[in-house]
Amino acid sequence: MGPLTSYIDKFAEESPLRGVLERAGVGIKLVSLDGTILDSNEKFAEMVGRTRAEIAGESVWALSHSDDRAAEQAMIERLRDGEIGSYTIEKRHLRADGRSFWTRVTSSLVRDPVSALPYCVAIVEDVDARVRAQLDLEEREIRLRTIFETAPDSIIVIDESGTILNFSRSAEVLFGYDAGEVLGQNASVLMPAPYRDGHDGYIRRYLATGERRIIGIGRIVVGQRRDGSVFPMELAVGEMPLRGRHLFTGFIRDVSERRDTEKRLQDLQTELLHVGRVSAMAQLASALAHEVNQPLTAIGNYLQAARRFMAVSDVAPGDRVVEALDKAFAQTERAGQVVRTMRAFVKKGDGARRPEVLNTAIEEACALAMAGLADLGVRLSLDLAHGLPDVLIDKVPVQQVVVNLVRNAAEAMRDSERRELKIRDWLTANKRVAVEICDTGPGLAPEVSAQLFQPFVTTKASGMGMGLSICRSIVNSHGGSIRAEALAEGGTRFIFDLPVVEEASE
Amino acid sequence: MSPDMMVSIVDDDPDIRDSLAMLLQSEGIPTREFASAEDFLANGLADHSGCVLADIRMPGMDGFALLGMIAARQLTIPVIMMTGHGDVPMAVSAMKQGASDFIQKPIDAEALLTLVRMALSQSDDPAPSPAPDTDPLLLERLSRLTEREREVFELLVDGDPNKVVAFKLSISPRTVEIHRARVMEKFGLRNVAELVRVGLSLRTQPRHGGTSRLS
Repeated sequence: MGPLTSYIDKFAEESPLRGVLERAGVGIKLVSLDGTILDSNEKFAEMVGRTRAEIAGESVWALSHSDDRAAEQAMIERLRDGEIGSYTIEKRHLRADGRSFWTRVTSSLVRDPVSALPYCVAIVEDVDARVRAQLDLEEREIRLRTIFETAPDSIIVIDESGTILNFSRSAEVLFGYDAGEVLGQNASVLMPAPYRDGHDGYIRRYLATGERRIIGIGRIVVGQRRDGSVFPMELAVGEMPLRGRHLFTGFIRDVSERRDTEKRLQDLQTELLHVGRVSAMAQLASALAHEVNQPLTAIGNYLQAARRFMAVSDVAPGDRVVEALDKAFAQTERAGQVVRTMRAFVKKGDGARRPEVLNTAIEEACALAMAGLADLGVRLSLDLAHGLPDVLIDKVPVQQVVVNLVRNAAEAMRDSERRELKIRDWLTANKRVAVEICDTGPGLAPEVSAQLFQPFVTTKASGMGMGLSICRSIVNSHGGSIRAEALAEGGTRFIFDLPVVEEASE
Repeated sequence: MSPDMMVSIVDDDPDIRDSLAMLLQSEGIPTREFASAEDFLANGLADHSGCVLADIRMPGMDGFALLGMIAARQLTIPVIMMTGHGDVPMAVSAMKQGASDFIQKPIDAEALLTLVRMALSQSDDPAPSPAPDTDPLLLERLSRLTEREREVFELLVDGDPNKVVAFKLSISPRTVEIHRARVMEKFGLRNVAELVRVGLSLRTQPRHGGTSRLS
């Protein structure tokens, strides 16, 4: 240690800066080119939790985190070889208690003016708080990015003008766009008309009114892939207020992605619902059959008796014939009573009615109906009125009506050249909401349209003919009506209406 | 037919009773009405002569139970069963439990009157009449059935529902229906009551020394 100590002594004695360095607010150490600490100031000693005497003669690596050694060693070598005159690195120093802290080290090569021996003067700043904050930030960034890139749900961030800021990996897969193609574009490219034109308006309306229609609620909407195909998706939107701006994060789950299992499930459910209805109908029909069969039997007996009385000419048959006919007539009243009782019974099946936003119900029903019909290539357009009052409905059966009508329409257009399905709704003069579903199918033959809503009437090869009669029952049970018309330009339109909630209509 | 022979109508539905009574009276057949099987057993047996026309489906004691009670008392009263359901197993079990016949509602007056007259004449002559020789026409028709049709006919007359027949023969219920329709067509039968009647009459033949016709 002898020759080294002489450097310090020389420096200590000869440098006019000595006093300044001793009291400086930054740590200073003198290091020989072989890595021995020649001397340090009080500040450095304080930083590493040792005395200057302990530090002097210690290897610089004994006070450094081993992970940072290779980088610094390389710098020192370049310094020694004259490639550079100084370097700055961020490294961890070790305290006596074993804890490490981040420092910024600026080291310069100097030559002892007397002996001309080279050594390094290193200025050491404690930057632990800043570096740790930065590392935390980086780590959080990585975590977020990982979530963003690996989340099974697609994540899309847009700003208040609708511009896409982030487009996650699974969004790329879902929509068929590379992130680079859509970043900076308006999010409306991801949705079909009519939402495409309305999307900016939705954001503006929210920013203006604060009225949440989807934020924090989530619902099923229709998305459009790069190839133009549409699919139902479940969208939940979160809002990020950021320094006076609003960013919106959309979490998207492809409902059709679950198609393999879910579409089948949906079909099955629809079928089950149908079977359920049919089976309820079958039970009802069986009960009805027995109840009606009784008076019918009696009527038949009375009429056959009357006929026999009339055929026996040798006695005056008059009174008995009249009696038989009167009794037969009375039985028709009984049969009618049975039918009325059944009707009343069917009406009792009302589900819970709540005020509902009809547009939402329609959109969801369409998304579900179209999910099963994607391969039919039907162009669906929705023209739903803004600001409609809520309707008082049992939502699921009403959606069943929409699903039914949409499916019917789509199937009717199977062989048509134009396959366009338009759904429109509006508030009528007498405070009801009317819903219109128009197709470009073959239209309706007059004889079919007259009895369209009767049970067991169908134009489909495999139909039961129950669908429209159930639709009518559902709409009627809500106090609405439904009708169908052939359109002059071809196709059919169905219109049904529902009563609005009085309070909400003010 | 003795003049005092009458038809006891047993049905819980007063309108059915009244209309049946009027129908039978239009042919000069006297009737009595009972609102339940219990009522008939309590009040109708003492001076009974004639036949019974009873509904299968009644609250309390039903038509089958009534048949059982009559058989248990070793009475030879012909009973015609009425039902709104024209299914084969029900007809088979009614006839097997001793019903003399089976008729479907709404009732065809001609068919009813024929059955009632037959029943009354049976009742008139309580000695068990030897079963008439099987109509050669029926035997000729039986011979026109295919193997499979005969099997189906056989099982149906055993009282098996379509689904059971289908299972036993490893064919679909729909196919059973088709075979049943063929059998009815080849025999010129109009309803299941007739099918069962023909089936059972063919089955009784071996006892009278013939070859097994339907078994």
